[in-house]
Amino acid sequence: MGRPTSSSSSIDSPNHFAFSSTASSQRDLTTDLRLGLSISIAPPFVREQWPPMKAAVAEEEHECNSSTFYVKVYMEGIPIGRKLDLLAHESYYDLIRTLEHMFHTNIIWAEAEMDRDHYEKYHVLTYEDKEGDWMMVGDVPWEMFLSAVRRLKISKC
Amino acid sequence: MQKEMAYSFPDEVLKHVFSFIQSDKDRNAVSLVCKSWYEIERWCRRKVFIGNCYAVSPRMVIRRFPEVRSIELKGKPHFADFNLVPDGWGGYVLQWIAEMAGAYPWLGEIRLKRMVVTDESLELIAKSFKNFKVLVLFSCEGFSTDGLAAIAASCKNLRELDLRESEVDDLSGHWLAQFPETCTSLVSLNISCLGSDEVSFSALERLVDRCPNLRSLQLNRAVTLDKIANILRRAPQLVDFGTGNYAAELQPDVFSNLAGAFSSCKELKSLSGFWDVVPAYLPALYSICPRLTSLNLSYATIQSPDLIKLVSHCPRLQRLLVLDYVEDSGLEELASSCKDLQELRVFPSDPFGVEPNVSLTEQGLVAVSLGCPKLQSVLYFCRRMSNAALVTIAQNCPNLTRFRLCIIEPKTPDYLTLDPLDAGFGAIVEHCKDLRRLSLSGLLTDHVFEYIGTYGKKLEMLSVAFAGDSDLGLHHVLSGCESLRKLEIRDCPFGDKALLANAAKLETMRSLWMSSCAVSFGACKLLGQKMPKLNVEVIDETEPPDSRPESYPVDKLYIYRSVAGPRFDMPPFVWSMDEAVKILH
Repeated sequence: MGRPTSSSSSIDSPNHFAFSSTASSQRDLTTDLRLGLSISIAPPFVREQWPPMKAAVAEEEHECNSSTFYVKVYMEGIPIGRKLDLLAHESYYDLIRTLEHMFHTNIIWAEAEMDRDHYEKYHVLTYEDKEGDWMMVGDVPWEMFLSAVRRLKISKC
Repeated sequence: MQKEMAYSFPDEVLKHVFSFIQSDKDRNAVSLVCKSWYEIERWCRRKVFIGNCYAVSPRMVIRRFPEVRSIELKGKPHFADFNLVPDGWGGYVLQWIAEMAGAYPWLGEIRLKRMVVTDESLELIAKSFKNFKVLVLFSCEGFSTDGLAAIAASCKNLRELDLRESEVDDLSGHWLAQFPETCTSLVSLNISCLGSDEVSFSALERLVDRCPNLRSLQLNRAVTLDKIANILRRAPQLVDFGTGNYAAELQPDVFSNLAGAFSSCKELKSLSGFWDVVPAYLPALYSICPRLTSLNLSYATIQSPDLIKLVSHCPRLQRLLVLDYVEDSGLEELASSCKDLQELRVFPSDPFGVEPNVSLTEQGLVAVSLGCPKLQSVLYFCRRMSNAALVTIAQNCPNLTRFRLCIIEPKTPDYLTLDPLDAGFGAIVEHCKDLRRLSLSGLLTDHVFEYIGTYGKKLEMLSVAFAGDSDLGLHHVLSGCESLRKLEIRDCPFGDKALLANAAKLETMRSLWMSSCAVSFGACKLLGQKMPKLNVEVIDETEPPDSRPESYPVDKLYIYRSVAGPRFDMPPFVWSMDEAVKILH
């Protein structure tokens, strides 16, 4: 009964990811703790309910009970934005499909393959994170992205 | 006859004198002087504190103290905070409320900690006590916003509603609107534990508007940064404020509005909240920082440089709660800026990570111990420690009253010498003669308990995990710590011998918790038989303890003194070792 966690990736990531990723892994793992699941990264012997910390109740309620997470999405050149429920999607692929449909364009993100001859047909998908930085979508695990993202922007290539 | 009259005061005079005696200890002493003082005292006791709700029954309390106006009750054992006590264990307040509803019509204050409070209990409070003023539910659970609505609607003179760290079932955001327009008496409101969408913000604004005596307000995470200014401008008299979400896109007008709102709060001394902090908004606090005495940033995922900047603006800080993002460098700044610091708590940002994610070591704590001579209370999570550092801390801070150290990996030795940390903790108990609370961690042998038993004469609460070699360790503590009231132990090789040899000691303590230790079922039964004034409860969620041999260790054991006998509300996984209960089976 373990859940894959994202904390181990924090060491190799660039600095600002390390901080936002540990923050999200803290929330992921304290959610695990609250749900009584044992943590898969526990070293030598399984230790339950350790270290002795109170689960951050309000934080988890926010995570566990909220069934929607709407973010604003702007496309470059169009002043009126849209809103999108990220929790209605299961993965980046799901999200990209929705956005391509919503904005009638091809979307570039970390895992996309582009036809370099026709780059004018593509738009790049970026997101604003908690530090206010604009990052390309798709580099970090989906759960980590969900806890860091503030809004989305689709820019011309 | 005449001699007696010359030496006795009329009851009214004694009552008046007793009214100046507030502390429970002193009141208890007064009641032991003679029968008539006992009688007078019990009729004029207004406040009762019951540290274990199962130590006494409601009826007994009411019989002895008929005119109580304020009651405080605690339920579950402390380790319930760390999910070691299964759900359904107990700590129900309903029966207390039901009995007090009849006996104490003038009850004005109820303070509960780690108890199960249902909506039915809240509704009963709302309709039974006409002069109800204070409700504090600290780490409680079992109720919903419906129960809160009943309290808000009925309690016309409510002064304090504090739900800190409780679990509330979100049914509707409109309970706040139930406070009638005539309610203007609120002094303190803490709704920080409520999840999203549980609070109607406009109702909150109107409530704050009409309560001119509001001094303490803690918002919940759903309240966004742009709304803070609105609230603060309506309540510039606030002394204690908890923000909601502290994140927003950086916009100059929002920033200046916020900064202006904060600066209008001339009495603000204490801040908390700070979920999802955007560092660019921290300077909005600078105008009030010089007055701040308490800062709780334990939800704020901000990095050391921003923390250093903030802390350097707060020279009067007495209390700081922060995540380990503060790092050693941040604590060094704290040590040089905040000479009045009395309490420090550093929480881990990544408690389950194997490798350290931040540069926080024992050095940070050593720096604070050196720079802050008034330091009294420490809670520190870190990944390494040395005996040398602990000795230094002990020598720098002989006035420590609470020292809780959690080295994240159990059984971690001194990282410099690879020795156990016995000598370091020994120095703490030896130098800090007023130490009342201690939590141990790291690699520890029976020796540390020898030090604790020898020097910890004022120690009231001890928490132990993954420590010791044998029963001798437990014996040192039980035989040496004269003031011990609460002892909680997990994952230690302590068995029957020390427990049975010190059975009488257990009657002088509030409670003992032992889980994943080596106490046999047979020893528990023996203790239950021999000590009628103790409730010996075995907790086992997998199977009944008597389905195994008597020599088999029990999973969890909770022993507490009680004058009420075994309790009647035990769930199926809790077994009482009381003889009387067994006969009924």
